[in-house]
Amino acid sequence: MKFAAQAGGAVTPVEVTGEAGRYTITLDSEAIVVDARPTGEGVWSILLDGTSHVVEVTDQDGAYAVDVGGERYAIRVEEESRYIIRTRGASGSERGQVLKAPMPGRVTLIAVTVGQSVVAGDGLIVLEAMKMENEFKAQVAGTIKEIRVTAGQPVNPGDVLVVIE
Amino acid sequence: MSAPFGKVLIANRGEIAVRVIRACRELRLKTVAVFSDADRESLHVLSADEAVSIGPAPAAESYLVIDKLVAAARRTGADAVHPGYGFLAENAAFAQACQDAGLTFIGPPPAAIRAMGDKMAARRLAIKLGVPVVPGTEQPVADDAEAARVAGQVGYPVMLKAAMGGGGKGMRLVRAPGELSSALRAARSEAGAAFGDAAVYLERFVEEPRHIEIQVLADAHGGIVHLGERECSIQRRHQKLVEESPSSFVTPEMRRRMGEAACRVAAAAGYVNAGTVEFLVDRERNFYFLEMNTRLQVEHPVTELVTGRDLVKDQLRIAAGEKLGFAQDDVTLSGWAIECRINAEDPYASFMPSPGRVAGLRAPGGPWVRDDTGVYAGCTIPRFYDTLMAKLIVWGPDRDAAAARMARALEEYTVVGVQTTIPILQRIIAHPDFAAGRLSTAFMERLLAGDRPEAAGRHRRIALIAAALTAYERAGRATLAPAAAAPASSAWRQAVRPGWRER
Repeated sequence: MKFAAQAGGAVTPVEVTGEAGRYTITLDSEAIVVDARPTGEGVWSILLDGTSHVVEVTDQDGAYAVDVGGERYAIRVEEESRYIIRTRGASGSERGQVLKAPMPGRVTLIAVTVGQSVVAGDGLIVLEAMKMENEFKAQVAGTIKEIRVTAGQPVNPGDVLVVIE
Repeated sequence: MSAPFGKVLIANRGEIAVRVIRACRELRLKTVAVFSDADRESLHVLSADEAVSIGPAPAAESYLVIDKLVAAARRTGADAVHPGYGFLAENAAFAQACQDAGLTFIGPPPAAIRAMGDKMAARRLAIKLGVPVVPGTEQPVADDAEAARVAGQVGYPVMLKAAMGGGGKGMRLVRAPGELSSALRAARSEAGAAFGDAAVYLERFVEEPRHIEIQVLADAHGGIVHLGERECSIQRRHQKLVEESPSSFVTPEMRRRMGEAACRVAAAAGYVNAGTVEFLVDRERNFYFLEMNTRLQVEHPVTELVTGRDLVKDQLRIAAGEKLGFAQDDVTLSGWAIECRINAEDPYASFMPSPGRVAGLRAPGGPWVRDDTGVYAGCTIPRFYDTLMAKLIVWGPDRDAAAARMARALEEYTVVGVQTTIPILQRIIAHPDFAAGRLSTAFMERLLAGDRPEAAGRHRRIALIAAALTAYERAGRATLAPAAAAPASSAWRQAVRPGWRER
């Protein structure tokens, strides 16, 4: 099975075959045989060239947060065909920002109104979770197209909060 | 223990409720947990003998409602209440309400809570007793003019602090006279919002101070001892991250003087039970009284590991009217203990809270490793309470050995599903300044300023492999069992049988 792994702005083609612990992974055009076992939900034990690695994989914003040896990698893995279709369709049209809730919480403040223009760095919304207030800012300049929440409303991860065009 | 009580209600949640339940069980006392709607499946509920629902998830409607807690004690026949820390632990009205209802409050008398809760009054008491305090005002500052006058006297930079404050709220650092009036306004408004009292006082700001505190135990018969110090200088936004005992900065002579000062303050306040006297220590090893916390501290386990005392059991014995049973000369500090706070926060995303389901969990073990936790694999961390998930505490014969053991234990600690402070704790313990004992409350600022958000790339290959394998296995599973969520099987059970897998 062929995948496109996107990490830190780079796209790496990865092919995986095999099962039940023995896998062949083709990475950077090099075929690697690994002994990999899931030892808990999201936890892999991987033996590679005799070295033992324990790797934690957590879902985060449609990608994987991969923790290994005190390092964290954000990696988005898509089937290669899907990746090709998506990137072909989206040429040059990736503008604006869809702000989604990264965690469950409650909206305590909405600092913008529909139609308002914002620049990158402007505060959009404040979410309260676990006794902490977290401000979310505009990453792009544009106009507020939609605000899908109201102050006081509880939200779940992935809920769209604000759309900037 | 021949206690005048046999059943203890724990008016708290999370790891501290579990910690208190453990002590009660070892003393053969029955336990009652209380829980909000968000906590039915939390570990403290599973750990207690009985559990009582006390209402909706927001703490203001459950854990902070005195009447509900007293009613829960009545209903279950509990005859004592342990408040833990946070919530109502330093609320004199709660201690009073327990007393009025005939319940033994496992903590100090209401008058002592009140005396120390007013930070200005506590400061005046310390001055009266000849205990050094940071130079500043003895009363809340009246207006801009007075603030400017006092600031001029003690010298800039100065710190503004809420009189009823704690936890960093209502605090403002002022480096120059021009910043004073706007900082005063901000501190007042924050203090008013957080504590219902806008009174603010002013102190000289101590540059790169250390935060060192003394554990005190006092019985109801005039017996009082201190159990040495804890150094809690590694903080982020006034929240402690790493604590240790003893402190590499404190000499035996200084420990004796700080301990004696702490006992003097506690005794003068009529203190009974476990309490902590906090000091700021400057670079020349001068110490200044900050405040007294009239409760068990989060970081109490480091003291337990170096003194061999169980502080929660001591709290229960003292509340039962027993004498301490030992004197200051019987207290010896042995070896070194370090605690790391494992918070459900994402250190890669400016410490944003990370509530949610703990999908996978494997806690470290081995010699002299203690995991005081409030979670288990499969549980959900609610979004309503603070982010402290577990405390990892280790002991070693000396500081180097303890630090190496902590690094090893953090490496073993596996949490999947929520983000935790483990990666940043690993960096703290591995930092040369930590190894050298060069600590101050500015440690985290320096560490984070030099932080590279991107990984160094040493493990890029293995990370890509794990990510691709996850996608590959999920794609396979999706065809076999569409939309079936993975069962909440125990990560621990799978972990002790390596190679065994669920298909």
